[in-house]
Amino acid sequence: MQTPTLTPRNTLPGTDPNPPTTTPATSRCSRRPHYSGASSRMLVRREVADALVSVAGLVRRPVRDQEGNEVGRVADVVVRWDAGYSPVTGLIVRVGARRAWVHAHDLAAIDHDEVRLLSTRFDLRDVIRRDGELQLVADVIDHQLVDVHGVRVVRASDLYLTQLAGSWRVVGVDVSIVSLLRRALPGARGRRPSPGQVLDWSGVQPFGVPGQPVRLQRPHEALRRLRPADLADLLEDLGRTERRELLDVLEPETAADALEEMDPQDLDDLLRDAPVEKAAALVASMEPDEAAEALRELPEEERDALLAAMSGGQGETLRALLAYDEETAGGVMTAGLVRMSPLSTVADAVGALRSRRAGAEEPTGIVVVDDDGRLVDDVSVFELLGADPLARLESLTGPPWPVTVSPDAELAEIVDRIVDNRRSSLLVVDAEQRPLGRILADDVIDALIADGDRRWPWQRRTGAGS
Amino acid sequence: MIAATTGRPERTSGRRPGRRTFAMALAAVVGPGLIAGLSDDDPAGITTYSVLGSQYGYRLLWVLGVSTLALILFQDLGARIGVVTGQGLAGLIRQRYGARAGVLSITALVLANVGTTTAEFAGIAAGCQIFHVSPYVSVPLAAALVSGLVLRGGFRGVERVLLTLSAVFIAYIAAGVLAHPDWGAAAHGLVVPSMPRSRDEILICTATLGTTLAPWGLAFIQSYAVDKRLTPRELGLLRIDVVVGAVLTGVIGLFVVVACAATLHVRGVKINDASDAADALAPLAGHLAAELFAAGLIGAALLAASILPLSTAYAVSDIAGRPAALDDSPREARLFYGTFAFVTVTGVSLVLLPGVSLVPLLVGTQVLNAVLLLPLLIYMSGIARDRRLMGQYAARPAVAAVYLVVVGLIAICIAALGVLSLR
Repeated sequence: MQTPTLTPRNTLPGTDPNPPTTTPATSRCSRRPHYSGASSRMLVRREVADALVSVAGLVRRPVRDQEGNEVGRVADVVVRWDAGYSPVTGLIVRVGARRAWVHAHDLAAIDHDEVRLLSTRFDLRDVIRRDGELQLVADVIDHQLVDVHGVRVVRASDLYLTQLAGSWRVVGVDVSIVSLLRRALPGARGRRPSPGQVLDWSGVQPFGVPGQPVRLQRPHEALRRLRPADLADLLEDLGRTERRELLDVLEPETAADALEEMDPQDLDDLLRDAPVEKAAALVASMEPDEAAEALRELPEEERDALLAAMSGGQGETLRALLAYDEETAGGVMTAGLVRMSPLSTVADAVGALRSRRAGAEEPTGIVVVDDDGRLVDDVSVFELLGADPLARLESLTGPPWPVTVSPDAELAEIVDRIVDNRRSSLLVVDAEQRPLGRILADDVIDALIADGDRRWPWQRRTGAGS
Repeated sequence: MIAATTGRPERTSGRRPGRRTFAMALAAVVGPGLIAGLSDDDPAGITTYSVLGSQYGYRLLWVLGVSTLALILFQDLGARIGVVTGQGLAGLIRQRYGARAGVLSITALVLANVGTTTAEFAGIAAGCQIFHVSPYVSVPLAAALVSGLVLRGGFRGVERVLLTLSAVFIAYIAAGVLAHPDWGAAAHGLVVPSMPRSRDEILICTATLGTTLAPWGLAFIQSYAVDKRLTPRELGLLRIDVVVGAVLTGVIGLFVVVACAATLHVRGVKINDASDAADALAPLAGHLAAELFAAGLIGAALLAASILPLSTAYAVSDIAGRPAALDDSPREARLFYGTFAFVTVTGVSLVLLPGVSLVPLLVGTQVLNAVLLLPLLIYMSGIARDRRLMGQYAARPAVAAVYLVVVGLIAICIAALGVLSLR
């Protein structure tokens, strides 16, 4: 009965565009004039509240043995973090001046006001942190969490436990301001659950202890499915250590997609904050043009360190892009081209595109070049679609010929060329007609939006992250 | 033109490909220390300094020096905590000291900030009256100006306008010079401490310390460093910014004290607030000095009135775990902008509503600020020592001891104030 009531925001990731405040707390306020409705709601909430135990309220409550004698006071509740509702693995109990460990097997009942034990077996050794375990009071309550479904950073006001299938589990995270204020009240009032704005525990990503080897090994599955722009927003909102931790558990590709969406200032901050190898791996996973843009923001020494830490050709490609003036076609283009000879077959071309697709890039076509590396034609994915797999690429070349610009062309010229020719991309070629890179229409849109996005004449911000 | 994607010709961070000069790097970091520091020279501050100068001459100038040192110490700490943790002070107090400590200190901070905002708008009203502008015109205009700036300007816009606004403080330096003070006596008073002897003297010393080291300034510098996205690598540069800001704050205070000491104290003129001081200056140091004094008062009040609602909004959103950044839209960050509006509107209303007596309100605000300062400083010292939060940047025991000594001194001052005002 608890679970559905507890999941007001249990929607698919990315499908809930509501800003944070349009959660049940607000809707409850708007219904206040209907007194009967309000009171029946209160009744439901009281029932739910009775089935829940507030973790914040448990702190410093007595722990009693079978006879009802107080043996200690609750210090913390420890759970094993995995997807779904984390099971309680035990309690940390303060016995005199010591912190003792009580295993979940030995718990008879957890109430609002006390904990009762089946036996008084205590592990009096120092409580040690084990991998994948969270101390709810020390690590989660009042700390930052990621609400994966609502795509935002929140602070936990309280956590709620309930007994599911015989074991105690964390089911909900209260993020309401009411619960925060309630905890400031003295006595029993401060300990009663007040479920107002409760998130499903399975939909949040908590953080471990910064600076300690115990880290959460598994990122939330849904985090990986977030839109890159949403992930970028989350990274921007988190504190420094939490952000570093989230970045650590994400795959470089997932993280890199998000980084491409970030505000340059934040991206700069993030790259300079991460260890060089990590930062290099992230930059290497970004689209070459975005990566070059990010690198331009860095101080020279740090940029060189990053490039040196990259493997093989990746660093060289980026170095070549960085050599162009940042305000020209050479500076915006992406250098990731698939070059092929006119004698290659369509099947080869499709294979090459597939293998590139697996990486970070998304090629839009095959650049056909002659033996001297000069541009012959740009064969789009569409042209390859119906073609005979055994046909040679030269059979597909012909008008319309690709539109090209020189690497030192400026934005106005690029826009003119795209508009005049109605193309989705341009090729950048050098003086000998050798292709250097490609400019996609979205790169141009980014530049144009950013141009018009300034709120004040002196503000020149990119539109990418905001 | 293409600049917008690939890099901005006038890039606000100041980072360009090629050699990054020290000056450029510093320009990118400058702001938090300068703005948070200078905003402490608000009308309440100027009033305190004017009274200090006009009643006690140069004798108690050293208190200003001590206050400036304390300001450097804790502004630097606040900025450092913000940069290292990436979180605001309110959120960290909640995280480190629990919900009750967080809620209580933020409630007090909000009340104190509403009161202080009222004082700033009252300062604008008083300053404009010297130029014969009615409060019913000047105060709403100032509020609209300040809110428009914050709502429309985004982070960089606000920063630049505030930095420009702080240039008005030069007016005080000019007013101080025009008053032809006795520099030898001033230097003596600054370097040689003479103990406060009477109840009034202890009161003014505590007030000087309390107005220089304001709770909202501490909360503000931390949130500001977070919103500015500074990295630990920039801590050295940020310290320069903080020290320059705090020293300038002290220097301006010094010129106010000196201006009043050279004119009002010598003639034995008693004043109650900063606009009295401006009025009293006119016959003694010329109309220019009086007008400069009033212009400085208005500028200082505008600066502080922009920061106070902002600082409150940062703190409230931070403790509630709601989004808080100037680059978020009002729809994304309702609590943030709601708090901003609440503080501004309440401040303006209290100043303009006829029949509201501001004196008890302002006195109450000063007491609340003084009482709140102590727990905030203790929390900040605790956070600074916490390795879990600060990692390698945690304060070493020797540094932590310095913080505690300063906290102890302030505690003694506040206790003395408490005992004296109860008698």
